[in-house]
Amino acid sequence: MPQDAGQAPVVERLRAILPQVPWEFVATPNDPAIVVRREDLPHLMQTLKEHPDLAFDYLRCLSGVDHIDQLEVVYHLRSFRHGHTLAVKVPVPLEDPHVPTMTHLWQAANWHERETHEMFGIVFDGHPDLRPLLLEEGLGYHPLRKSHPLAEIEEWQEDFLEREEALVAAAAPPGARAEEDERAKKIALAQKKAEVIKRAREEARAKGLTGEEERKYVQEALRRLEQEGG
Amino acid sequence: MPGERPMRPHQIRDDPAHAISDVVPEELRQQVKELRPAVDVGRGKAPYRQLLPGVIQAPADWLIAWGRKGSLWPLTFGLACCAIEMIATFMARHDLDRFGVLPWPSPRQADVLIVSGTVTKKMAPAVKLLYEQMPHPKWVISMGACATNGGPYSRYDRVLQGVDKIIPVDVYVPGCPPRPEALMDAILALQKKIMEERGQVGR
Amino acid sequence: MALQQEHELETIDLHINVGPQHPATHGVFRMILTVDGEKVVDCDPVIGYMHRGAEKLSENCDYRQAIGYQDRTEYLAQFNAEWTYCLAVEKLMGLQVPERAEYIRVILGELNRVASHLMFMGAFGTDVGFFGTPFMYAFREREVIQDFFEAVTGERMMYNYFRPGGVAWDVPHDFEEQCRYVVQHVRRGVEELDALMTDNEVFLARCRGLSPVTPEEAINWGFSGPMLRACGVKHDLRRAEPYSIYDRFDFDIPTGTQGDVYDRYLVRMEEMRQSLRIVEQALRQMPKQGPVMAEGLKRTIRVPPGEVYSRTESPRGEYGVYLVSKGGDKPWRLKIRSAAFCNLSALKNLVVGNYVADAIIILGSIDIVLCEVDR
Repeated sequence: MPQDAGQAPVVERLRAILPQVPWEFVATPNDPAIVVRREDLPHLMQTLKEHPDLAFDYLRCLSGVDHIDQLEVVYHLRSFRHGHTLAVKVPVPLEDPHVPTMTHLWQAANWHERETHEMFGIVFDGHPDLRPLLLEEGLGYHPLRKSHPLAEIEEWQEDFLEREEALVAAAAPPGARAEEDERAKKIALAQKKAEVIKRAREEARAKGLTGEEERKYVQEALRRLEQEGG
Repeated sequence: MPGERPMRPHQIRDDPAHAISDVVPEELRQQVKELRPAVDVGRGKAPYRQLLPGVIQAPADWLIAWGRKGSLWPLTFGLACCAIEMIATFMARHDLDRFGVLPWPSPRQADVLIVSGTVTKKMAPAVKLLYEQMPHPKWVISMGACATNGGPYSRYDRVLQGVDKIIPVDVYVPGCPPRPEALMDAILALQKKIMEERGQVGR
Repeated sequence: MALQQEHELETIDLHINVGPQHPATHGVFRMILTVDGEKVVDCDPVIGYMHRGAEKLSENCDYRQAIGYQDRTEYLAQFNAEWTYCLAVEKLMGLQVPERAEYIRVILGELNRVASHLMFMGAFGTDVGFFGTPFMYAFREREVIQDFFEAVTGERMMYNYFRPGGVAWDVPHDFEEQCRYVVQHVRRGVEELDALMTDNEVFLARCRGLSPVTPEEAINWGFSGPMLRACGVKHDLRRAEPYSIYDRFDFDIPTGTQGDVYDRYLVRMEEMRQSLRIVEQALRQMPKQGPVMAEGLKRTIRVPPGEVYSRTESPRGEYGVYLVSKGGDKPWRLKIRSAAFCNLSALKNLVVGNYVADAIIILGSIDIVLCEVDR
């Protein structure tokens, strides 16, 4: 519910210090909230932290929200010097979910941004280390999005194993599957060779060959196998 | 009755009106004794089985099972909220040390794995590795609703719906979290199970 | 001669995995330490082994069902978590909580703080080297508190007692005398723990001066609670942003000087005594009769659209709930801002430069609850 007059004193101060930034005031219980555009965010946050009248030195909370037509990042800030609080809401479009990072201003943002990235898919540009924090790497989906459903109750153990394999196969990049096929081929070839060697050795012993002749017999068999394969 | 304290668990157990059957009912115990496994896993090649079979076997089996059940060392493996109740069970009020149970940090010297808490799919390989690191004989107690079937978190896809999907479980303890008395009951039930399956399972 | 030779030796830094299962880590937490000899050069904490999706599951729950998930998220200070969540819903709905319910909430919340700090004493003492004795001392008092909570709510751990608008049912008739007994018993136990641990020479030698933190660093890293107060910042949400009826009680806020591990321990020890003070004042001021639930609440709570960030002072720090509602009977987004998550994110800064054994103590002094960190 946007209201025009900024009723909280911090919003008045903000209006005086940064008149050119377009923002909307939203009345929420506990903290005054402003909605800003993505482009104004770096300059706004810098001013919020460094200006002596604002001095927001504490980042309390960084959350992502999934309104179905757009995403949103919400920052909750507090100033220890003045005691006032502020909430900053930034709408993020679904097709281009990029937001500038705040880790250079508040180190507390580091882990919060990693978590928001893996849960919603919002990419924080400039983050030093945007790996997944709570989930495994390479999962392929973002759990907290509304489009991701809840899990079904599994009754049988086979269901679980099948589903895990399907998930892993779907999430693996196509190159990985080719590598696995290569490796599988190599394993099959080695197994075939071992069988041929075993059979050749038995035949040689049956014929009564020993030592050097047996070895030559086995090598003949291997050469024949390679010719067939090649 | 209003104003009276409700019955405590030990009073309900001793009260004949509330009597529940023992852990394994008698007829089932007889049936289990008569079953012979297809592959003779229990009759190993241990020397005490070869010398005077029948005479040394039964008392030796009893002695070994008595020794195993009297000194179960669980791995200190507290995952989540159930771990707090597990610690409370080890502490002075509901003492588990009187049953010979001693929490032990290393899996190589532990007997029981008490899985207390939710197992997520990220943690599952670690649980499997810990189970495989424990030498035989080993047992698993799945403590709490989360370890049994995912519990209150079973609808989330990163949660393993029950630890028995990756390791075999011997005793399940319901509750969220189970009372310390329930965990003690589980340890006693495991001791009974160890005694009953002596010599029959190749551990 | 020997020194010269040492400098010519080539060394490699070793990666040590303080794995998900470790007798000293509180729950399933993994640290990959890079050590040079015995000194830690780099630390990479890996969390997420207890990520169970409480936030996603709460989005599919009624407003009253979600209280159970709050319990299980912060499983040592359950009442504080429930309180924060109920505050959020009450703020959005504009509910007025009756007096008696407020006093009950304060008493139970403060006793829960004592219980949580007792658990910290046990776990931290075990980490430092007392190895089991503080656990025995602390759990004796915890059992008394848990008995009291069981008499009031029916449960030993996951109470599910606070509701938006008040508490679920009234307390038993002997609440006051039971509470006084508990306070008296716990006070004696706290003094015993103090005598056991605080002046111990080895304890002092291990913890004094270990990983000091300046106030500016602490605020930048997002610390709150005893971690922040140990650095000298006199910030307590019960005084700075008072919620419920905390402005009626008289209590001190203990602060430390250097922000090292020993200061954090002292702050928590003193907080227990202050909490017992608050409980006694609340018992004296509590109205003898009265409703414990706000009027006019239907069977299904529907919250008008809006959003709120409510926060309370939990034993670990600032526990916040950011609740977005779009009408309807289920929350749209329930974000839990847990104190342990923010405190733990600065682990690398705290641990680098110390020895491996000290890394374990520093981790213990942060007092993490893994379910809160991973949600």
